[in-house]
Amino acid sequence: MFFILSGLLIPVIELCEPQFLKLIGIGPCWIVLWLLPWSLEAGTLNAIVAAIFYGLILDSIHIGNVTQIPALIALAFFWGSLGRRSSPIQRSFTLGFLAWLGTCFFGLTLWIQIFLKNGYLTENLFNEWAVGVLLTQSIITGFLAPMICALLISILRGRHIL
Amino acid sequence: MGGSPWYNFFRFRNLTRSSLVGLAFLTLFGIRLSKGSIFLDTYAFLSRPFWPGSAQSEWIIKGVQFEQEARLKLLEEDNLRLRKLLSIQESSGKDYIAAAVISRKESGWWQQILLNKGAFEGIGPGNLVTGPGGLVGIVQSVTPTTSLVRLTTAPGSRIGVWISRTKTHAILLGIGTNRPLLRFLDKNPDVKSGDFVSTSPASTLTPPNIPVGVIQSINTESLNAATGLLQLTAAPQAIDWVQVKTK
Repeated sequence: MFFILSGLLIPVIELCEPQFLKLIGIGPCWIVLWLLPWSLEAGTLNAIVAAIFYGLILDSIHIGNVTQIPALIALAFFWGSLGRRSSPIQRSFTLGFLAWLGTCFFGLTLWIQIFLKNGYLTENLFNEWAVGVLLTQSIITGFLAPMICALLISILRGRHIL
Repeated sequence: MGGSPWYNFFRFRNLTRSSLVGLAFLTLFGIRLSKGSIFLDTYAFLSRPFWPGSAQSEWIIKGVQFEQEARLKLLEEDNLRLRKLLSIQESSGKDYIAAAVISRKESGWWQQILLNKGAFEGIGPGNLVTGPGGLVGIVQSVTPTTSLVRLTTAPGSRIGVWISRTKTHAILLGIGTNRPLLRFLDKNPDVKSGDFVSTSPASTLTPPNIPVGVIQSINTESLNAATGLLQLTAAPQAIDWVQVKTK
């Protein structure tokens, strides 16, 4: 229950956007940092349900008509399957790499939607802004994942590390 | 098969549990349809103690002065033109509502700001938002106490503008970067770097002659029409207070 409620903080953090965690004005992908440990520990089905829940909320607080839900469902499915098949994932590098990969995929789906819905942008497909956002967000999310995801995994497993 | 989580999920052995899940989904769809009204209003209420103060740094004051000088010049020109046409369009300060920025995203996938005033104050979708320096964006959606504004730099933002010096019209397109794209209607427009750009009097969506920015560069080698990059006079990343022009 605590973990589910912690997910409700994601939209608040998205709106607050802590400045000290931004890299050249771009913050981490908070939903990826929350969904990764949840998917690894709670399994595919619970992860997909959570992805739809929080995807709906996050879509509602952002402008435009791009959606995050398909990317979140795909990530929940992938990470959920990974968590069940392999031994418990808790190494810092693995968590960071999975978060980096997930943020790249997440950003790519948004990039494709934004470019397809704004025809004039396709004239310059590799727009410096989109590449910059994709790389920056994935890097900062990858760096934060070992700390935040490891903490959330510990909470999920019932360890008291604090 | 019996142990599969999918099987367990769909067999509905516990009506109360499935009803709760259904209710939760309905609630979330409600939130989605209302554009996050509950979340945004709650966020506005909770963040009230942290709303920015009225003090602004010196460069913002300079930006205001620059904007006012430019606006005065444009308004005089506009006034003269309208008087000639004997159809003076009245406008007054009463149309503007001051609002604080309580959330901002100016560089990522979404380029938006959230204001602390909404439908209760008379703000509606399509209203123009200006800050120190000029145009900031257009209200995309409102809740009773908040307004979500799409910045001029955001992909998908389209605003009709003109260069008053030569009466050249163009469309301002957000491309994500700090400098939005100007797409002129002519192949060889009579414009140069440094020309001042304001909202177009021909536009039915925005009020005329709101300062937008200064042309930074022009590219006449584009296939269909010339393009240019615009340096905005209002910097959304540093603005704490804005004004919303209600219709």
